[in-house]
Amino acid sequence: MRRLIFLALMAPQAALAQKTDATLDCKPTGKDFVYDCLIRLNPALAGVQITLGADMPSMPMAHQVKPVKASPTETPGEYRAKLDLEMTGEWAVKLRLAGPVRDQLILHYEFDARGARPVKRSPKPPRK
Amino acid sequence: MDEYAIGVLTSIGLLSFIAASAYVLLIAGELSFGQQAFFGVGAYAAGIATAMFGLPLPLGAAIAMLLGGVAAALVGLPALRLRGLYFAMATLAAAEMLRILFELLHWQVELGGERIGPDGTQGFRGIRWVFERGVEPLGFLVLVWGTLAAVLAAIHFLEKSRLGASIRALGEDPELAGALGIDVLRLKLGVVALAGALAALGGALFAHHNTYIEPRNFDIMLGVHSLAYALIGGLGTVFGPLLGVALDLGLLEGTRVFHGYRMIVFGGLVALLLVWRPRGLLDERVVHWLKTRR
Repeated sequence: MRRLIFLALMAPQAALAQKTDATLDCKPTGKDFVYDCLIRLNPALAGVQITLGADMPSMPMAHQVKPVKASPTETPGEYRAKLDLEMTGEWAVKLRLAGPVRDQLILHYEFDARGARPVKRSPKPPRK
Repeated sequence: MDEYAIGVLTSIGLLSFIAASAYVLLIAGELSFGQQAFFGVGAYAAGIATAMFGLPLPLGAAIAMLLGGVAAALVGLPALRLRGLYFAMATLAAAEMLRILFELLHWQVELGGERIGPDGTQGFRGIRWVFERGVEPLGFLVLVWGTLAAVLAAIHFLEKSRLGASIRALGEDPELAGALGIDVLRLKLGVVALAGALAALGGALFAHHNTYIEPRNFDIMLGVHSLAYALIGGLGTVFGPLLGVALDLGLLEGTRVFHGYRMIVFGGLVALLLVWRPRGLLDERVVHWLKTRR
C-alpha cells in the first residue's frame, strides 16, 4: 500500500521531469524571408497546440514577428508552420506549447537563402 | 485581443522602462549610450533571484533595481567627471564591459535535473517564474503596464517637486545650478542611479517575459534605440519616451509593406523627425502650450 502511495505521488513528478525538446527544419518558400518550417517534438507528442514567434537576439523586441499556429502533419510529433521573418540572420524562435504539454521553448537558428541551421556557440572555455 | 497585439503592447511597455531611464538622464543634461547594461543587470539579477534561488518576482525585481542602481552609480562616479560626448562614450564603454562580463558569467545550479543559471554566450534559460505560475500573455501585459504606470506617475510627481526643478536646472545650466547652491555632482549621481534602477526594472520584467536572456540582448542597438525613443517622444514630459516607443514600434509595424527595407524607411523618418523637432514631439514648448490651454 505504501509503495502504491509512493508511486502515485511520484508519477506526476516524473511527468513534470520529462522535458520537451524540439528541432526545426526550415526551407525558403521563394517569397522573401518566408520559410516553411517543420517542427519535430521530442518526445513525439500528438495533439499539441504550437504557436511560433521569433525575435532577433541583437535587437530584442524591435522586430515583431506575427505569431503563427502550427498544424500537425500525418507523422506524430511533427507540425508545420510558415514563418514570415523580416530579414536573414540569427533569430530566436519561440515555441509556445499548449494542450498535453505546457511549455515554452527558445530555439536559435541562423536563417539564410538556403534555409535555417541551429546556431552553435562556443561553450565555456576549459580552465588552464 | 489577439496574440500579436498583446506582443506588440508588451514590447512597448517593456521598452518604455529603458526609454524612461534615458529620459531621466537627458533632462539632467547627460546623454547615455549605456542604459542597456543596467537593463541587462536587472535581467540577470532578477533571473538569478527567481530561477536559481526561488524568490518571488517582486523581490527579484527589487533586488534587480537595487543592483541596477548601484551598478549605474559605480559607472557614474568616474564617468560624471566627463562632459557631453565624453560622458556618452564612457557610458558606452562601461556598457560593453558589462556585456562582456555577462559573456564570462558561468554560474549554474542543478534544479530538477536541469542546469539553471547564466552560461556565458549560451545565455540563461529557464527564467520561468511567470510561466510556471500560469500567467497568460494578457496577464503579463497588465503587470507590465501597471508597473509602468506607477513608474511614470512617480517620475511625473518627482518632476513637479523642488527636486525635479533642480534636476531640470542641472540639465539647462550646471554652472548656474551650482551657483544656486545645488550639489551638482551628488544630484547627478542620484539621477544616474535612479536611471539605472529604472532600466533594471525593465530588464527584470523582460527576462521573465522571454524566459531566456543572453548577453547579445544588451548590446549597443538597445542603447541607441532607448536614446532615440526619449528624443523622438520629447523631453517636455515623462510621457514623451512612451510616445517615442509607441511611435517607433508603431512605425516599424506600420511600414511592414516595405518588408526588408522597412528599417531604412524607419531610419529616414527618425532622421527627418529629429531635424524638424530636435527636442522631440512632446518638447517643453508643446507641454507648456498644452498646460496653458486648459
